[in-house]
Amino acid sequence: MTPIERTMAAMRLERPDRVPLVPHLSPEAAAHLVGVTMAQVSNDAQIAQAVFLKVFDDYGGWDSAYGGPITPVQMQAANIYPMKTKIPGRHLPDDYMFQLVEEEVMKPEDYDKMCEMGPERFYYEDYLWRIADFPREQLPRLLEEMLLNWGPWKAELDKRGVQPFVMANSFHPFFKLSVMRSMVPLTRDLYYKPEPVERALKQMTSDLIPRQIAVCKAFGVNSWLLVDERGSGFYYPLSVFERFWWPYTQQIIDAFWSEGITTVFHLDTCWNKNLPYFRKLPKGSTVIELDSTTDIFLAKEILRGHLCIHGDVSASLLSLGTPEEVEAYCRKLIDVVGEGGGFILGTGCAAPPDCRPENFRSMIETGRKYELTRI
Amino acid sequence: MTGELTAALVEMRRDEVLAAVAARIREGEDALGILDDCRQGMTTVGDRFQKGDYYLAELVLSAEIFKEALAILQPYLARSQPSEPLAKVVLATLKGDIHNLGKDIVAILLQAHGFEVHDLGVDVPPTQVLAKVKEIRPRFVGFSALITTAFASMKAAENMLQEAGLRNDIKLMIGGGVTTSLTRDYVGADFQTLDAMEGVKYCLSLTGGK
Repeated sequence: MTPIERTMAAMRLERPDRVPLVPHLSPEAAAHLVGVTMAQVSNDAQIAQAVFLKVFDDYGGWDSAYGGPITPVQMQAANIYPMKTKIPGRHLPDDYMFQLVEEEVMKPEDYDKMCEMGPERFYYEDYLWRIADFPREQLPRLLEEMLLNWGPWKAELDKRGVQPFVMANSFHPFFKLSVMRSMVPLTRDLYYKPEPVERALKQMTSDLIPRQIAVCKAFGVNSWLLVDERGSGFYYPLSVFERFWWPYTQQIIDAFWSEGITTVFHLDTCWNKNLPYFRKLPKGSTVIELDSTTDIFLAKEILRGHLCIHGDVSASLLSLGTPEEVEAYCRKLIDVVGEGGGFILGTGCAAPPDCRPENFRSMIETGRKYELTRI
Repeated sequence: MTGELTAALVEMRRDEVLAAVAARIREGEDALGILDDCRQGMTTVGDRFQKGDYYLAELVLSAEIFKEALAILQPYLARSQPSEPLAKVVLATLKGDIHNLGKDIVAILLQAHGFEVHDLGVDVPPTQVLAKVKEIRPRFVGFSALITTAFASMKAAENMLQEAGLRNDIKLMIGGGVTTSLTRDYVGADFQTLDAMEGVKYCLSLTGGK
């Protein structure tokens, strides 16, 4: 099978020739593995692209490209990171990872302002200028550079016989509000004044769907990334989940699936208590991506034959473990979660910025060789 | 009145809690007694969390209300016979990491359960931890991390405490989304958790608190 066929087969819940291997290689991890500074990859998308490709080539490649040429400021400009951002080389020392700042930037009165203006207009005409550290006149250039990077990036991936794992990318509306308001104020709103939150979630969901479907179509991709780390049972009871999270999730995933687009759902924190709900999603519509805090083996039991699972070699293991420990864990994932198909081996969240090279190599080599060589 | 204040805190009825605290102060009641009622509420919230009846959201909300109640009581507590804290705790997010959410949640929960918390903030150099430990001699030191680059700083801080001969006097706790038992062993910590309340329970278990 080709890497593309292998990845697509797993997403369709089939059993490929081997479990596909798709680590999320962030620019920061790639920078570390190549030996350039965090400041370089955080401020220059070309360098971010170069280090990704160098790691891909040096480590023998894998099945789909997750990560790539984009900087944190571009993510903010593209309405992906709606938070203040600390950048190495500018706000932080050169060897620090870029970091997002949890702060109550959005105020209670902004829920209705967002609804009146529409989420996109609110972001670009108001909110962005509360968080951005670049002048307004730079916005068109930042967005244009992102678009211009796509062609060369795609061409480099084509040369290697792989596709981008995802292209369009958004935080879940609930997660977006949680970081815009910050976690504690949003929680206060949910418990004491929920109506404006619900109005905003409805608007944000209605706005997100056609906008991101159009991006997928424009780039000719059939999977996109939806991110959440705040809606889980780690934070909220199921009563909150059922009212403020699940209906919008179903609406989003159904809409994309009706257009033939698979949602890659990046779910950080522990979702153990929420897993049964995901069986209500259309079969094969979603790839559930776990960060190692959710029990991936429980996820397999619950979602077997219904949704593909992606994960979950932890940042801690890649940063502190031994190659033998990484290999043993990857084998276990392949044997147990990969059993019967519907599994993609990957990192838990993303490869960490201090990933040990020998551990990354162990993960890649185990993923590529284990199933093909075992008797 | 006593039970009502405690119950209102447990049920997160913010306005009722604050009104009751203010009314009892106006009536000349001892601030320490009112504080004890609030702490009793926080203990119940903690128990409900441990049983799985409450979630992090409810822990955070009740702790926020507790903090507001404490702010009302503070001027009067200064005039009361001071009560001894269960223990002193130094908290920090160490060099390389500027995330504060998890640490802030642990700090307020520890305060609400009777600990004296010294929060050093984020991106804290290990030398600052050492200086603070020398200064106040805490029973517990806690480090929070959301990214793995803070692990080396945790290890450095632990080494400094060892070299200064202070390590045996404290219990070292670590927590945060990327920490695991592997991190605990690497750092040489005594305790690791992803669960803020579990951290509080650990401190309570070693200090005879509730």
